[in-house]
Amino acid sequence: MIEVNNLTKIYGKKDTAFNALKDITLNIEDKSTVSIIGKSGSGKSTLMHIMSGLDEPSSGTVLIDGVDIFKMKEKKIDAFRASEMSFVFQSFFVEGNATCYQNVLLPLEIAKVGITKRKKMVMEALKAVDLEDKVSAKASTLSGGQKQRLAVARAIVNKPAIIFADEPTGNLDSTNGDKIMDLLFGLNKSIGCTLIIVTHDPDIAKQTSMRVSIKDGKIENIEKGRK
Amino acid sequence: MLFIDIVKRSLRNLLTSKARTILTALAIAVGTFALTLTLGASNGAKEYANNIVRSNFDPTELIVSKDPNLFSRQDATKPQVYNPSFGSISTFGGETRQVQYLNTADIAKIATTKGVSSVQPAITVSLQYITRDGQKKYIGTLAPYNSYQKPELLAGSIPEKIQDNTLILPQGFLSALGFSSAKSAIGQNIRLSVQNQTSLNSITTNPLAALNSSDNKSQESVFKVIAVSATASTSISAATSLYLYTNINQVESLNNYIYSGTSSYQKYLTAYAKVTDGTNLTKLNTAQSLIKGEGYSVQSVVDTEKLITQFISVIEGIVTLFGLIAIIASLFGVVNTMYISVLQRTREIGLMKALGMHRKDISRLFKIEAGLIGLLGGIIGSALAVGIGTALNPAISNKLSLGNSNLLIFKASQILILIVVLALIAIFAGLLPARKAAKLDPIEALRTE
Ligand SMILES: Nc1ncnc2c1ncn2[C@@H]1O[C@H](COP(=O)(O)OP(=O)(O)OP(=O)(O)O)[C@@H](O)[C@H]1O
Ligand SMILES: [Mg+2]
Repeated sequence: MIEVNNLTKIYGKKDTAFNALKDITLNIEDKSTVSIIGKSGSGKSTLMHIMSGLDEPSSGTVLIDGVDIFKMKEKKIDAFRASEMSFVFQSFFVEGNATCYQNVLLPLEIAKVGITKRKKMVMEALKAVDLEDKVSAKASTLSGGQKQRLAVARAIVNKPAIIFADEPTGNLDSTNGDKIMDLLFGLNKSIGCTLIIVTHDPDIAKQTSMRVSIKDGKIENIEKGRK
Repeated sequence: MLFIDIVKRSLRNLLTSKARTILTALAIAVGTFALTLTLGASNGAKEYANNIVRSNFDPTELIVSKDPNLFSRQDATKPQVYNPSFGSISTFGGETRQVQYLNTADIAKIATTKGVSSVQPAITVSLQYITRDGQKKYIGTLAPYNSYQKPELLAGSIPEKIQDNTLILPQGFLSALGFSSAKSAIGQNIRLSVQNQTSLNSITTNPLAALNSSDNKSQESVFKVIAVSATASTSISAATSLYLYTNINQVESLNNYIYSGTSSYQKYLTAYAKVTDGTNLTKLNTAQSLIKGEGYSVQSVVDTEKLITQFISVIEGIVTLFGLIAIIASLFGVVNTMYISVLQRTREIGLMKALGMHRKDISRLFKIEAGLIGLLGGIIGSALAVGIGTALNPAISNKLSLGNSNLLIFKASQILILIVVLALIAIFAGLLPARKAAKLDPIEALRTE
């Protein structure tokens, strides 16, 4: 379970200080699907970054399975992110000069997964996103939809407990977008990972089991249950 | 990340920007090229110097003199006190000196020193002339043969003990004395003449009388050629390459003939003290300090070698300094390249950090990358130097008449150390860019488009 307590985030200091998150409190159950919705600039990405330990809050705590992630040593939180979390970003973030195989391999390298186990895991992930025929292709040669599928393969290769997706379909047409969402929801069912999606798209939000709407850094509304 | 994964990733990054990698490495290669050649040249020069010393001096012998200033220059800016017990006054390289000579008593005393097996005064006989029936007369020098010399022979052989009235003829005299080949000289007789110095001394007072008397006071002896020695590239000077060699006793008796009746009779500037087991450095040093303790000044071959090597080292140091400056300059290239690399890969770094890669591993990634550039530069530079050096060696040896010696001698161990050191220095140059990469804020990094 992810427990977010009284989270605030202030960017900058004094005159330029900007209060991006204001007293956010919410609980996310294991294996649930959560959408974070709100206008541009409302603080969705900021919240996601803090929940994943990428960014630090100005005050408040984030507990994952009862452990305060900001009280962990840097090395430990790194290791925790490497083994338990993964990310899908709006602008893909694949390594263009590397092959698809090498792209998907990265999380396994970082998590120091044994060399002998790697190949099977990478191939499974590529198969799940329907890219096994592109194993040795350079990532830069892929189409947008393929790149995002590659990013999803990279996100699932290490069987994470939590997947954070920041507008994963933002740069895709609706057909490709639907494909990605089907993939992510499918994973939630098959490996039971918690799925946290930042999105503008009400259609996507509808499919999640919990909807958190944010306005000006404050929680406006939390809705549970599928629509 | 495992070390091997980091190295693979570094290699991939370097290959992605090949041109940049190679250009940066080439800058390092220039300095390495200079350093490798310097090392090679100084190895060669040292070995050549040692060859010269070893083939002109017996390493188990100590050179002993009575004069404390012989092996070191005295302070020529201060007047020297006259000492009536000293030997003659003479000019020494343009400087008037009062030189102390060794006499037979000194020689006997040195010979009794513990560890010394024998003492020979250092003599070379200036011959009045060398000739052969039907040939011109030439001036020349007769020197005692010492078995350490092992000259290259064109014909004949040198026995354990050289008989009286036999000699080793240098190649340079062959045609002058009318021999068609080295082989044809073997067993032939040549005549050597020496002249007594008392008659020469009177030249200044009564030249005409001296000329007459000099005829009376010279002695001609017949020598049989037993071997012909090749002109060695390691002769200490051009003059020694024309030395004729026979046994020490005969050289001594001819020398005595020349100086009998003069103040220089049986007076020697230096003598060679042979040390038992002298190849053992401690024994050589012990004997050296014992003789010193008796009031003589002593120099060993090791000292002579040191003197020469020191000189070479100074030149080596200067050239090395230039090489180092070139390498330091090229390191700024590494810093620059690595900074660009970090900037170019900001998003990749952000991604790796977001996926939980440790700061240390990220910093290591860039340090290894810098180290690999250094390694590449080192390998290119030293390979070029070894390749070009080895190819040019014969031509250089020919030009400098070094005989069979090579000017450039490359040692694998030295080059290996050089390359490793270069890689380490390059890693050092990569420290700042690596630190910048490790400190990148992943969110900032991911935000960059
Ligand atoms: N490093 C920063 N320094 C100052 N202000 C920042 C910084 N990062 C974010 N902000 C501000 O915080 C607010 C929330 O930003 P955030 O990126 O979380 O918005 P968002 O809800 O994800 O918007 P979008 O839907 O456009 O991605 C914005 O007003 C933004 O300008
Ligand atoms: Mg956002």
